[in-house]
Amino acid sequence: MTADNSARLAEPGAAPVEPGALRTDGAGASIVGVRQIYKSFGPIAALKDISLDIGPGEIRGICGENGAGKSTLVKILTGVYRPDHGTVLINGVPASLTTPRQAQEHGLAIVAQELSLCPDLSVEDNIWLGSLRVPFLHKRPHLRRRAAETLALLGASHIRLEAPVATLAMGERQLVEIARLMTRDARVLILDEPTATLTDVEIERIFSALVAVKREGRSVLYITHRLAEVYEICDQVTVLRNGELVATSPLNKLSRAALIEQMLGRPSGEMYPEETRARGAPALVVEGLSLPGSVDNFAMNVCRGEILCIAGQIGSGAAEIVAALAGLVHDASGRVTVNGRQLKLGSPTRAARRGIMFVSGDRAAEGVFRRLSVLQNLVATRLREYSILGFLRNRALGAVAGRLAKRVGVDRRRLRARAEDLSGGNQQKLAFGRSIERRNAGVLLMNEPTRGIDVGARAEIYRLMRSFCEDGYALVMASSDLEEIVGLGDVVITLYRGRTVGLYRRSEVSMHRIVADITHPAAAAT
Amino acid sequence: MTDQGLAIAWRGAWRLPLPSSRRGQILVAIRGAALLTLLVIVATTPGFFTAVSLFSLLNTTSFIGCVAVGMTFITLSGNIMSFALSATLSTSGMVFMAALPLGLPAALLAAFAYGAALTGFQGAVIGYFRANPIIVSMAALALITGGATLITQGHGIYPEGNAAAALKGRVLGVPMPLAAFIVTAVAAQIVLSFTRFGRQLYMVGSNWRAALAAGLEPARVVLGAYAAAGLCTALAGILMAARYSSGDLEIGLGFDYSAISAVLVGGTAISGGEGSAIRSLIGAFIIAVCQVLLLLHGFSTQIQYLAIGLIVLFVIMLQTLADTE
Repeated sequence: MTADNSARLAEPGAAPVEPGALRTDGAGASIVGVRQIYKSFGPIAALKDISLDIGPGEIRGICGENGAGKSTLVKILTGVYRPDHGTVLINGVPASLTTPRQAQEHGLAIVAQELSLCPDLSVEDNIWLGSLRVPFLHKRPHLRRRAAETLALLGASHIRLEAPVATLAMGERQLVEIARLMTRDARVLILDEPTATLTDVEIERIFSALVAVKREGRSVLYITHRLAEVYEICDQVTVLRNGELVATSPLNKLSRAALIEQMLGRPSGEMYPEETRARGAPALVVEGLSLPGSVDNFAMNVCRGEILCIAGQIGSGAAEIVAALAGLVHDASGRVTVNGRQLKLGSPTRAARRGIMFVSGDRAAEGVFRRLSVLQNLVATRLREYSILGFLRNRALGAVAGRLAKRVGVDRRRLRARAEDLSGGNQQKLAFGRSIERRNAGVLLMNEPTRGIDVGARAEIYRLMRSFCEDGYALVMASSDLEEIVGLGDVVITLYRGRTVGLYRRSEVSMHRIVADITHPAAAAT
Repeated sequence: MTDQGLAIAWRGAWRLPLPSSRRGQILVAIRGAALLTLLVIVATTPGFFTAVSLFSLLNTTSFIGCVAVGMTFITLSGNIMSFALSATLSTSGMVFMAALPLGLPAALLAAFAYGAALTGFQGAVIGYFRANPIIVSMAALALITGGATLITQGHGIYPEGNAAAALKGRVLGVPMPLAAFIVTAVAAQIVLSFTRFGRQLYMVGSNWRAALAAGLEPARVVLGAYAAAGLCTALAGILMAARYSSGDLEIGLGFDYSAISAVLVGGTAISGGEGSAIRSLIGAFIIAVCQVLLLLHGFSTQIQYLAIGLIVLFVIMLQTLADTE
């Protein structure tokens, strides 16, 4: 706790401030700050006594597990929520941010996760769309020059102004969005998990753009799960935990282990569990798998008790291979054998009958049943086993759900809560719970199983995955998270543009080899 | 300890608690207040329970209610509503009347089979081809109306004899339509709450992709939901035909809208996956009570339509608020 306290003292904004008192010390001038912010939703306190300041030209990381209060803080700063208590200061002056528009007028701009660009309009039109600076009779050449200058400043001069946004990659769209906010004098850019869907090259571009933003004297609030990014881009990091501010620390004085400890409230321990000792017979054999337009002639061989990672960036085909094996791709072709029996692709029901279960990283779209209870989610795939003449044995199902909840580490008292009220990590556990303990252990397919899940829950998910290996499952996982691939994969297959580049056993895996394989076109050509 | 935990887990495992957010709780409070207001108005309106109109309205409500229970299956499956149920109602009444010379059991069988097959087919198109449910139901409406007019040359069907008289009586003192409505709602609720099909219906309505990825067969479940809707609708058609002793294309006119009103007022989510048949029953009665009240206070039929339109609009706005948290 002493570390926490000293870090707290090091943060000027966290020092006790009389309500209504204004800070006027010039050295740590604050562009935007909050003082003693409280916000509750019903009985749950989302934010408790949060005070912080962000200086000009600062890139501030905000870290914390899911439910720590990061998103609530962002929503208060962007005028979506109003705090129950406390003030927001703009240049040291209390400001009322009751609508998103007011927040924008104060120069607080969020780079939306779902980008707010119009795909059919050109880059230039998108940059100026809705801007108050465009007069009714506008001078096009002038606006054009401004747009081009802003893009150049962000290191994105390769983006053509007349190109429709729909033709741009996700990372380029983010750059356009940032340019759009810059042209309307945003002084603080807020980015909430901006890199979740980006490739490494695109992430580098975004980072250099943020550095350009910083050089302009504007500030950035950077919210992320990825600790590596915090160290790469941020000046200081503020850690939230359970709605409280743990500490704000400069990153050059904070070790990675200490940062994790701040986020979790305890030492992180071993993130990746030991590998499984027992290996069994081949559970899944894939030969000549082709998906028109994305994957060409893919082959693999997974044994029971083994985790195979298909490593590839977005668009490499890794996610598509997993979806195809789950039966979710209609025009997949190839020979697939599960526990010695042939499987015809194209039907999730057929795949499930052969013991192939799919856990998606996109929980909202194809993972959990958000409106149904935890219990119903857990037993979703075993209704047939627990029904007589079509009638459910509800008592038995309740017992099964209780057992599964315990197995995957979901609090049994929450069995009747709605799935959507659970954190991302717990929702993912539901998807696991519904896939395991089948009559005979089969294959678990996963697509980015820890996407959007915080560090603490991640370690728990990894431990669960290993325990499924102990039970005799074969695990196949598509992932673009390098740390995860290196830490978890018994076998790693690297993929570039639909073609297999390399295959590595655990002892041969190294991060730079994988990076080279999945990003380097030359390697794929051979 | 473990047993106790399980017992707690089991008790109310299928029930969902009050919404955790303040907004959700406010919405529940608004619903409760609206219901309370209605009860107060009922209690202070003289002659509510003795009104002759109450009984005639109860019959109409029961017919609409059967369709509403059927519509509940469609709404729960995530397919909003069907515009073809009114035409299905009237044509299954016609099928019933046409088959009546073969005997009551045969006529019942024919009408139920017709309703289930016709609506089930729409469900198959929607489930297997992922066709837009509203458009499919409109196409079906045109096909059914056109086909029926072609076959009957626009005439009603008036069978001889009195074979359907048994359907006009009372069951334990309760008018047949009302009894049928309540039994239908209860049976539907049993299917929804206690069968595998019912549970899968909620899953498909809640998240089609997740149901598919989990290895369920959502298309089949949607087909089942539409077939069930067809059965409920056919029942309403049979009872109406028996009551008027004729099969006519006009008898179910406007029932689609009344039925979806009952479903929504009952509180079933328009986006699917949440709701119940009993809620639709309550919704149908609430609308009926509102109609009687307006009648007793001397408002015309036009005003009644207006009022119900406003109520449905209000309910939809409440639902949208609850969803966009």
